This record gives sequence, structure tokens and C-alpha cells, in this order.
Amino acid sequence: MSAALSRRGFFAAFRQPFERRVAPAAAPVVKREEAADVAKVAIVQGRFCIALTSFCSACVERCPVSGAMKKERGMPMVVADICTGCGICHDVCPAPRNAVLMLPRRPSLTPQPT
Amino acid sequence: MIQRREFNKLAALAAASAAAQARAQQSSPAPKPATNDGITWDKAPCRFCGTGCHVRVGVKNDRVVAIEGDQLAEVNKGLLCVKGYHVGLALYGKDRLTQPLLRRNGVLEPISWEEAIETISQKIMAAPEQFAIYGSGQWTIPEGYAANKFIKGGLGSNHIDPNARLCMASAVTGFLSVYGVDEPAGCYDDLDKCDVLIMWGNNMAEMHPVLFSRVMDRRTRGEKVTIIDLGTRRTRTTEFSDHYLEFRPHSDLAIMNGIAHLLIKQNAFDPKFVERFCNFRKAPKDPLATPSAPLHGDAMSFEDYKAALEPYTPELVEKLSGVPAEQIRMLAGLFANKDIRITSTWCMGFNQHSRGTNANRLCHGIHLLSGHFGRPGDAPTSLTGQPSACGTAREVGTMCHFLPGGRLILNPEHRKETETIWNVPEGRINPKIGHHTVLMWEKFCTPADKGGDIRTLWVQVTNPGQSLPNLHKLFKAKAGQPDKFLIVSDVYRTATTELADLVLPSAMWVEKNGMFGNSERRTQQWFRMVKPPGDARDDAWQMIAVARRLHDLGHAGMKDKDGRFLFTLKNDKGEEVPVWEWPRYYDMNVDKALFEEYRAFSRYKHKDLAPYDEYVKARGLRWPVVQQQDGTWRETKFRFSEFDDPYVKKGAEIQFYHSVTKDDKALIWFAPAEKAAEEPDADFPFWLCTGRVLEHWHTGSMTRRIPQLHAAMPHSYVEMHPEDARERGLANGETIVVKTRRGELRLPVWIDGRGHPPRGSLFIPFFDERLMCNDLTLGEVDPISKEPDYKKCAATVARASSAP
Ligand code: SF4
Ligand code: SF4
Ligand code: SF4
Repeated sequence: MSAALSRRGFFAAFRQPFERRVAPAAAPVVKREEAADVAKVAIVQGRFCIALTSFCSACVERCPVSGAMKKERGMPMVVADICTGCGICHDVCPAPRNAVLMLPRRPSLTPQPT
Repeated sequence: MIQRREFNKLAALAAASAAAQARAQQSSPAPKPATNDGITWDKAPCRFCGTGCHVRVGVKNDRVVAIEGDQLAEVNKGLLCVKGYHVGLALYGKDRLTQPLLRRNGVLEPISWEEAIETISQKIMAAPEQFAIYGSGQWTIPEGYAANKFIKGGLGSNHIDPNARLCMASAVTGFLSVYGVDEPAGCYDDLDKCDVLIMWGNNMAEMHPVLFSRVMDRRTRGEKVTIIDLGTRRTRTTEFSDHYLEFRPHSDLAIMNGIAHLLIKQNAFDPKFVERFCNFRKAPKDPLATPSAPLHGDAMSFEDYKAALEPYTPELVEKLSGVPAEQIRMLAGLFANKDIRITSTWCMGFNQHSRGTNANRLCHGIHLLSGHFGRPGDAPTSLTGQPSACGTAREVGTMCHFLPGGRLILNPEHRKETETIWNVPEGRINPKIGHHTVLMWEKFCTPADKGGDIRTLWVQVTNPGQSLPNLHKLFKAKAGQPDKFLIVSDVYRTATTELADLVLPSAMWVEKNGMFGNSERRTQQWFRMVKPPGDARDDAWQMIAVARRLHDLGHAGMKDKDGRFLFTLKNDKGEEVPVWEWPRYYDMNVDKALFEEYRAFSRYKHKDLAPYDEYVKARGLRWPVVQQQDGTWRETKFRFSEFDDPYVKKGAEIQFYHSVTKDDKALIWFAPAEKAAEEPDADFPFWLCTGRVLEHWHTGSMTRRIPQLHAAMPHSYVEMHPEDARERGLANGETIVVKTRRGELRLPVWIDGRGHPPRGSLFIPFFDERLMCNDLTLGEVDPISKEPDYKKCAATVARASSAP
């Protein structure tokens, strides 16, 4: 698929600003020590996710980073290595108890500087 | 972590303990003890869709503070969809309407309720025959009943129609012309029992999510159920289906004929079932011969039927529909197999179809022809979109040609019976049917000197300014016509209030008593739990207050035969209460009084309803609800089947006791495959389909004000195939212009989004009032049901920047 057709653009115009955003989507490589206290990663808490017993895909549809989220048998999954921690999935989650946790990125999960 | 399969276990536990403390019979809300946190709980059906889930509503300090799935409810067993979890917030949008507003010099200004009621009454008095009511499948049963009685029994006019005309009118004509009586024979239990579930143009995962969860839950428990999705684009439902058959829009008729063709060709139909229980029919030579001709059709022999189907070979069907002949054979093979149970479901795909009645008939037809009928899990079942389309529109008969309980305006006997129950003089009910929805709005939008014979129109609980098709013609044309007066009762400002001359603030959902009837014939009840905001008042009160004012102004129709006011209502002690005075409205249970009066209508078509108090105890009961020897009331799950339906004669096995042909047989119809009213061409090369999304309820007037739902689905869009976009150089998210012969709309394109239309096909949801796709739709109506087609018209797209 061409770059013009990436999922990145969709809904971009209507996105709510996310105050907790710490790493811009196209994050430059940061030193591990600095990243540790700011960079985040999304985790879906399955037991709160509406897709567990019903249907929902808001987070997967709106994640701006191709490949950072996928659906497995209807359930959303974050691919931690690709997730930039932008927090959009958390913002859009309509579960009665928000099912997306934004956790500090553990050093072992940060992309290795090349 | 709670797995799906744990769900039923939990539900069963809760059922056992709660049954132990079941409440005593009562018809007014008994004070309920608050839990430790000061929250009191009561039951109500969800406000949103026709699935009819029950919720537990938690109230504290006169405010709904918590919602839970109701584990005692058979429909949802404690489960809810994303809308249901947030239903309580529908009440608390910041801009609730709290006072009546009258348009003066173009501006809506606050007025008192007295002025508002007076204004409406004067408008009606000036020209009662030019007054119409446009109601809703979201009206409660008593609200619809009050409106129906007011206009038909009081004003002697039949200009009343509900938005349900836009939604399930074709299902009604389908049922009536096949079984002689409306509504599905089966119920949701079929979903638990079927081996094969065929969804005909029915995106159940998105539109009736809890029902689809019920089916998914079976899979999780290890049961085998084959799911077949027949659609015109890939949807959320497709993801979970075993087979996806994509057909060319409008060619569902050909597919069903193809199945019937094979069943007969291969001698794989059920001759015993057909001989005992079915007759054959085709469209009448002269549909105008009698009013019932289109529903009764012309008789046809089996040989003729066979001959009519002869051309529909799998190869021809493949050509017409794009579905491979092999797949048609696969479908026919399923119907040929009597050892499996097949449930068909459909909703707007069949109903919003310019041949919607025929689509419904053909689906019933293949079930009857193959004998896949009358056993649990073997059922052709229509799903409704609105919470009380069945209860209020179909059963109460708030349509322009119906009287309550399945009676018809055109039938003199039915009018007489209705007049008797209403105790109004003979001849009060107008023998002429009123304007159906599309005609009503056409007449309202047409100047009086050009034949526009509706001058004052009162809309309750619906948003036609967004949901009617072809809005420029059917709604927006009202603007600039000072002699046309639009009254709107609603809870928020909507596209409809934009053109309203008078806006009435309404109470909603648990701010009032109510009753709904869901898709599976289940009648549900709830009590008022919180007070409405400001000066908002019940819709039924508004109607009764106007009736009373007309009575006081001397309108003869507002009195019954004995000179008493039409809505003379008595409390449980038998004392009359002047309920038209708002402070007295809740001095009695008006819902109960109206419902008990309405109940008398329900027996004639064997849609027997139980006394009000039975519904207070239950999470809904499916009619016919029949009293047993021991005095208890028993619901019916499977109509027309001897093992469950008390009205079937012993030994009959299956009896269609309202048979059109009066011989206890159902009708199998032949109907040809036909072209859509507008198909893509060189100028407008795309099919355009419209519909709903999971997060939003219809026009979004409630759900768009719920922050969680709005955040999850903030904006409308147009879905398009990636190749079509690439060819035109359109990027995902780019604003494009979608144009039809009726109008144009600028909105972002979503490629590989939630749905995946095939090449040459577009989809736009209709929830977003900033981007109304009904500026584009054609709305060609089905000639029999008068329901418009929202699913098919021809469109073209262009880059926003290059568009003129
Ligand atoms: S935080 Fe959520 S939305 Fe953002 S990249 Fe990670 S998974 Fe996607
Ligand atoms: S948005 Fe929330 S509820 Fe919906 S699928 Fe994602 S995590 Fe689950
Ligand atoms: S499926 Fe329908 S009735 Fe059930 S919770 Fe969702 S919107 Fe409400």
C-alpha cells in the first residue's frame, strides 16, 4: 500500500489533543536513560475491554502507527516494539473502565538505538 | 479474567439469588432500599436498539449514576454493548431542552407550557384535517397508543405514521402476506439452537451486537454453528463468519430464487411440509383491484411456481449477483438438509429495499419450501432497529393504515371494534387511510396551493431532519413556507428542531414510566426513576394536554359517546385523575391505565398481552402471553408450532391460524429479480450505501453527546475500496466530495477502515448531523410497504480541491 493510503491520516483532523503525550509519533531515537522516565507504551487490559464480551475496535482503528495494534480473534493487542506511546488508543477507548493502560516503557522494551 | 464462557455461569448464579428475592407484584414503584453507597437500583430495557437488552439502573440523588447489564434478562444475560454501558449518560448532555420554545422572527424563544399547548390547539382547531403526527418506534407503547387514539379516535384523521416506516414496513408487509399476521414466529432462542445462521445483508455484530455475542458465546463453549454472511461489503460480522458471500446490490432476490430453483430441480424441497402447510402466490395482475390485492396476490399452482423459477439457474444467478454458482449450490445444499437447523436473520438490508416486501417474502419462501420452519433454530426472523418498532409501531398500529392490535383502517369491522373499545360514536374513525411517511413529508413540504394538504406536523421522539431520505425534497423544502407549522418534541436540539416553529422539551427513558416491545415480541416495562430536567415533560402528557385543551375549546371529537373526555383515566382505586394537569400526571400510573385499555385490542390477532403488573415483575414477556389454569401467565417462544403455541390445534403440528387463504396455510411467493431504481452509470459510477455504526444510535442525537461514544467514533466518513482511491489519487483521511443527483457532501475518505466495500461501492454512516448522507440518498419506496431504499443509489466522487 502506498504511503498516501496509510492509516496515519484518518481521523487525524478530529483527534483530541492528548495531554499526556510524551513521545511524538515520529519519535527520534532517544537515549535510554532519558526515555525511561518519559516514554510510555500502551497495554490493553483484556478484562476491561468491551471486545472481550461484545464488539469494539476503536483503539485499533485509530492507532496512527501502522502495525502497533492488531486484532486477534476480535481482541486488540499492542505490539510494544512498534507502539510509540502516543496515547490515542487510551483516549478513544469507550470501555466503562478504560481498558488501555499507558505504562512507562521498560528499558527492555525501548527500541534499540541503531 | 472473565472469559466469554464464564459469562453464562455468572448469569446463572445471579439468577438464582435474585429469584429468591423477587419483588412482590406491584404497579407502582415500591420504595427500594438503597445499597450501602446510597444507590437504588431498578430495571429498564436499554434505550437504544431493538435487541431489547435489560439494564439495571443505579440512581442516587435524583440522578442516574450507574448502569449494569441485567443478569436476570434472558435477552442479554448481563451483557451489554458499548452503547448500552453508557445509556445513562444519554440523559445528561449539556444542552438538554428544558423549556418550550416558539420561533419568533426566526429565533426560538422560551414560552410557557400553557402558551405552547394553546398554540398547538389553535393550529389544530383551525384545520384538523391538515394536521399530522409523525411518531416513532422509540415512542413507548402507551405514548404511541395515546397519539393513535387522539388522532384516529378523536380527530377522525389517519395522518399518523412512525419513523418505523423507514425501518421495518417491508418486514410487516412480508409477514402479513406470508402468514396473515405480523412479526416473527420464532425468537432469539433460535440463535441459541441453530446449526447454521444466515445473515442476509445484516451486519449483526455492528447493529445488534449483543445478539451476535450470544452466537459467539456458543462457539466459545465449543458448540458448532456455521455463520454465513451475505453482504454487499465486508463488515465486522464478516470477520467472524465461516462464509462470506458478496453480492451485487439488489441481487438478493436472484440469490433466493436461485436457492428455490435448486431445491425444486434437485427434488430437495419438503413436499410434505409444502402440501400440508403452504399455498403459492405471485404478484396480482391488478394490484389496484382491491386494497388487499398487493398483500394477497394471485393464486399460483406449484407447476406455475416451478416454471417461474426455471430461469434462475446457478449460472444465471452468478451472472446477476456475482456470487459464484458453487456458493449458490452450497446454500441450496444447506436448505436441502433437514438434519440441520437454519436461522435466517435480516434487518435493513432487506427492508430498506425498493423491493423490500419481495425480499422478505422470498426469504420466508425458501424456509417454507424446504421445511426449515417451526422447530427451535429453524426460523426466518427479522430484526428491528428501534427499541419499540414492534411494540409501538406495529402492535399499537401507529401507522396510517393500521388500528391497534393488527386491525386495518380499511376494514369496516375493525373500525367498528375499535370504536367500541374506545367508546366513540360509530363512524368516528375515518375510513380513508392517512399519508404514509414519505407522502406526509412531501405534502408538508409542498405549498398548500400546489396540493400540500398537511399544514401542521407534530414530530415526537425522532429526527426526520436527518433520517428522511432525499432531505432537500422531503424536509429542507419546508424552509421559507410561513403557513407550514412544525412542532417537535425532543430532548436535544437536532437537525429537525432547526426548522421547527415550536419545540417541546420531553422527558426521556427513565425520567418517565415506559413500555417497549423488542424484535422478538417481548413487551417490557419500567418505572420513572429520576425527574426530567427543567420543565421537560412526558410525550404522552403533551398529547393528552392538547387533547384536553381541544376538548375545552369545544372540539366534539375529544369526547366519547357518553360525552366524557377521551382520556378519562382512573387510578387503582377507581378515582378519576385530571392527568392533563402536569402536577397531577404522576398521581396515578398513566402507563398502566393506557396499557390496560390497549390490552383489549391484543387478542384478535392472538397477540395477547398480560396485565401490566405481570410486566412489572418480568424482564419482558413474549406474546401471546396466555393465562394458565393455575392463574399464572405463560409467554410463547415459537408461534404456530404445536409444542409451544397454545393457539395451535392439537395434532396440527403447525398451524398458521391467521392464514391469508383461511386454510391455516402460509404463502410461498414467487417474485422476480429486478433492477434497482437507480444503478451506477457513466456519470455516477459508484453504488452508495448508508447505515449505522456500533457506537451511535441512529442520528446520534443521544450518543454523540456521550463523551465515550463520541471519542470512539467522532466523525462521519465515506468508505471506499483502496484501488478505487488509488486510481483517483485519494489519500486516506483526505476530504472528498461525494455527489449524487440529489446533492453533495464533503467528508473524509476512510480506506481499509471498519468496513470494506468492494470496488465501485461506497458506504457512509448516517449518525453525524454535520454530514448528513441523506442529502444524497434516493429513497425510492417499495410499492407495497412504502418504505424507502437507503441502501442503493448512484454516486460519484471527486477530490475536494478539484471539485467546483
Ligand atoms: S499508544 Fe496506542 S495509539 Fe499510540 S501507537 Fe501505541 S498502540 Fe497505537
Ligand atoms: S477501545 Fe478499549 S474497549 Fe475498545 S477494543 Fe480497544 S481496548 Fe477494548
Ligand atoms: S445491543 Fe442494543 S439494546 Fe443491547 S445494550 Fe446494545 S444498544 Fe442496548
